[in-house]
Amino acid sequence: MQRRGGVTWRVLGVAVALGALAAVPMHAAGFSIFEQGTKAMGMAGAFTAQADDPSALFYNAGGLAFVTQGDGSIGFTYIKGLKAELHGADPFPGEGYTAKQKKLSEFPPHAYYVHPITSTWKVGLGIETPFGLTTEWENPNQFAGRFLSTKAALRAFDVNPTLGWQVTPNFGIGFGGIARISDVELRRNIPANNPFTQSIVDAASLRLKGDFKEGYGFNAGILYKATPDLSIGLSYRSKITVDYTGDARLTPISTGNAQLDAAIAAALPLNTDLPVKTSIHFPDEASFGIAYSFTPNFLIEADANWTGWSSFKDVPIIFTGGATNSLPNVDLPQNWKDANNYRLGLRWQASPTSQWRLGYVYDETPQPEVVVNPLLPDSDRNGYCIGYGYTGTWKADFALMYLPFKDRTRNHSAPGDGPFFGTYKTDALLLGVTLTF
Amino acid sequence: MHRSKISASLLALAFLMAGAAFGQADFSKYVALGDSLTAGFSSGSINANFQNSSYPALLAKQFGISGFQQPLVSPPGLPPILALQRLVPTPVIGPSAATGGVPTNLTLPRPYDNMAVPGATVHDLLTKLRSTSATDPTDLILRQLGFTQLAQGLSLHPTFVTLWIGNNDALGSATAGTDQLLTPTASFEADYRAIAGAIAASGAKMAFGNIPDVTTIPFVTTLTRFIPNPATGQPAVIAGNFVPLLGPDGPLQPGDFVLLTATSELAVGRGIPVALGGSGVPLSNSVVLNASEAANVRARVNAYNAIIQAVANERGAALVDANAALTELATTGVDIGGITYTSAFLKGGAFSYDGVHPTKFGYAFLANLFIDSINKKFGTTVGEVNLFPFVFGSSSASSSAQASFNESEIGAPFVFTEEARVNLLRSLGVPQAYIDGTPTPAPRPRRPVHGPHR
Repeated sequence: MQRRGGVTWRVLGVAVALGALAAVPMHAAGFSIFEQGTKAMGMAGAFTAQADDPSALFYNAGGLAFVTQGDGSIGFTYIKGLKAELHGADPFPGEGYTAKQKKLSEFPPHAYYVHPITSTWKVGLGIETPFGLTTEWENPNQFAGRFLSTKAALRAFDVNPTLGWQVTPNFGIGFGGIARISDVELRRNIPANNPFTQSIVDAASLRLKGDFKEGYGFNAGILYKATPDLSIGLSYRSKITVDYTGDARLTPISTGNAQLDAAIAAALPLNTDLPVKTSIHFPDEASFGIAYSFTPNFLIEADANWTGWSSFKDVPIIFTGGATNSLPNVDLPQNWKDANNYRLGLRWQASPTSQWRLGYVYDETPQPEVVVNPLLPDSDRNGYCIGYGYTGTWKADFALMYLPFKDRTRNHSAPGDGPFFGTYKTDALLLGVTLTF
Repeated sequence: MHRSKISASLLALAFLMAGAAFGQADFSKYVALGDSLTAGFSSGSINANFQNSSYPALLAKQFGISGFQQPLVSPPGLPPILALQRLVPTPVIGPSAATGGVPTNLTLPRPYDNMAVPGATVHDLLTKLRSTSATDPTDLILRQLGFTQLAQGLSLHPTFVTLWIGNNDALGSATAGTDQLLTPTASFEADYRAIAGAIAASGAKMAFGNIPDVTTIPFVTTLTRFIPNPATGQPAVIAGNFVPLLGPDGPLQPGDFVLLTATSELAVGRGIPVALGGSGVPLSNSVVLNASEAANVRARVNAYNAIIQAVANERGAALVDANAALTELATTGVDIGGITYTSAFLKGGAFSYDGVHPTKFGYAFLANLFIDSINKKFGTTVGEVNLFPFVFGSSSASSSAQASFNESEIGAPFVFTEEARVNLLRSLGVPQAYIDGTPTPAPRPRRPVHGPHR
């Protein structure tokens, strides 16, 4: 592959290798992943006004301005789905129906390197996985929502070169470019009416795979240390659209009736690659935080984040083949709303080498009730975090987060849309580890 | 005085809460009045397998009523229910058995809760007492007791009545390929108002269904007006053009419809010129609903629906817009959990093998339409029917008694065996003369002759 916009292929190659691990169940509101550094994670991401480790490249580029020595960090967040269930409601799939998602174990990684060039100019390179999604249902060929989605997976990771400028001893700004590489996979079954039994059977399974494609954006941040005890931070990461091309493929499912199988084979372009394209509009995100040290060892930070999810209006699936290798285009409406979340974190320096952290986040869902669906069932979440940091010749951070989603019920449809009603119940547990050297 | 004020307001609160529990309708005694659509008629038959999930039976379950009584007929039903005997290369539909079922609830010592009589018109509800031919099922339901459908239904002192009548006044004419059998609007109105008045006088709350557009049922819309490619049912391209079939007034024009029962005529080459391998004999009047007939039927349906709407408003009845629902089914389709149901014959999932009456899914969908309309009108919270078992059904295929048919059919994209065709048309109330293809046509205005294509 050729060079693109100054980002070297070797870095992209590393990013691809890391990114292979990056598909995750949704665990931040929408499909954003705010856990991009374990020190921050211990404080539930209330880190914009501290940004005092290499993960500042994600949380607030302004923090890069204050770096005094070369540091590298590498880490991951282990995400374990504890519960992801659907309890149906009438009229469809009906009262008493239950289904489960496959319990996922994923390891979105992060890596940072920061280095001062002069006393006022600093550089950094971050590799982050700020968006990701896997929703996969057990027993896909029996799942009642299989004609909407059996599996949806999105991987996105950012290569984030950043420049920091320490304007004054207590005011710094940072600016970075983002090269995002992302791929997407969608699977569902195709229904047919069996005219012998006048009931619905599976005609085929459809798999759509969009290859890794790029999109570009930027981030910027300001960190202001108003007093030795009070810091204020402001950070922004821009929206990025990724246009994917790829192929879809229909694999037939035998209906048990040879005549019906023949009729289906005549009607659908089975077992052949159907060129397809789609797009995902990733949102922009802004964070504002205030951190206050009550004592030299005890600090509290409060943050508010805003995410521009209203740019996620739909997922268009456009077939670009000819008459014999296309299906009708589909548009999956989403119509998400901008959403806020609120974070509160505290850290306590117990000893020169030990720091304890606690945090809480309330994360609003951007998804309106009428589009809650098996492809992406989202909800408001509460996140409860505890973290520990060790400082020696190198640093190690650990954090644990319990993330129960509010039960999310859908009992209404958008005009022209049909029912797929019920309550989704989701819980996850996250474990973060980051080493800094 | 203080104490009596408190108890008076407590009493008022108690009444308010009791009212809220019912909304503003009492479903404890529910009676259904109507025609074959209300009886649970499907695939040309009255058959308990389908009557048990007629929309009134489903409503009764959702209302919390047990022991809802219907005039059940054991499988394979009367007449024997149609089955799909073959799908490829050409779908063949014929009776599933040689002999029909038997009534199993004839000795119920009171009128049925579902009083619907297949073939009934608005006037029949008020006046008809017994069957008028050997194939008329009225006696099955009214049992020669000497009382009309309306009288028997109201004798049960219902608290809630659904009324879906008028389909046969319009569609009965359409399925016979004519506009000559349409009930005049004035008599429709007088009879409809009389029925509504009688139900209102009994104190029951009401829900009325309106009449679907004739062009939304596959019986009318499935076959093309062009000579079809028998393998696909689509118009055949002959020397670069589509060639219209020969109808009773000449080549079929845009807006003319070919009814599903034309397949037996197409199978012997009627409607197809000799030069193209047919018999040169035009399709009969009874299998063509031409553009002006269709327009007249639609106009009459709209007139009926205006009356039904007006009476519903005057009587405070819920109006169930079956017309809009079937139009949606015929145009955009209806989505259920990613499955799109349409009115397409055999493929769409909503219509049974007779092209007029719904499948089990279709009836469950209709029941939810009634429930939504009732809840909206009366402020009640009746739960919708769970559609899951109707969507995915049972795995038992319909029985397949092999009927004989002529394999060398020309230009017939579907085949209804002759017995199936006759039984179906009788069950739709089509007069025998139309079934035989010998009705006296009304004088027709002369039409200019158009070219073969379009």
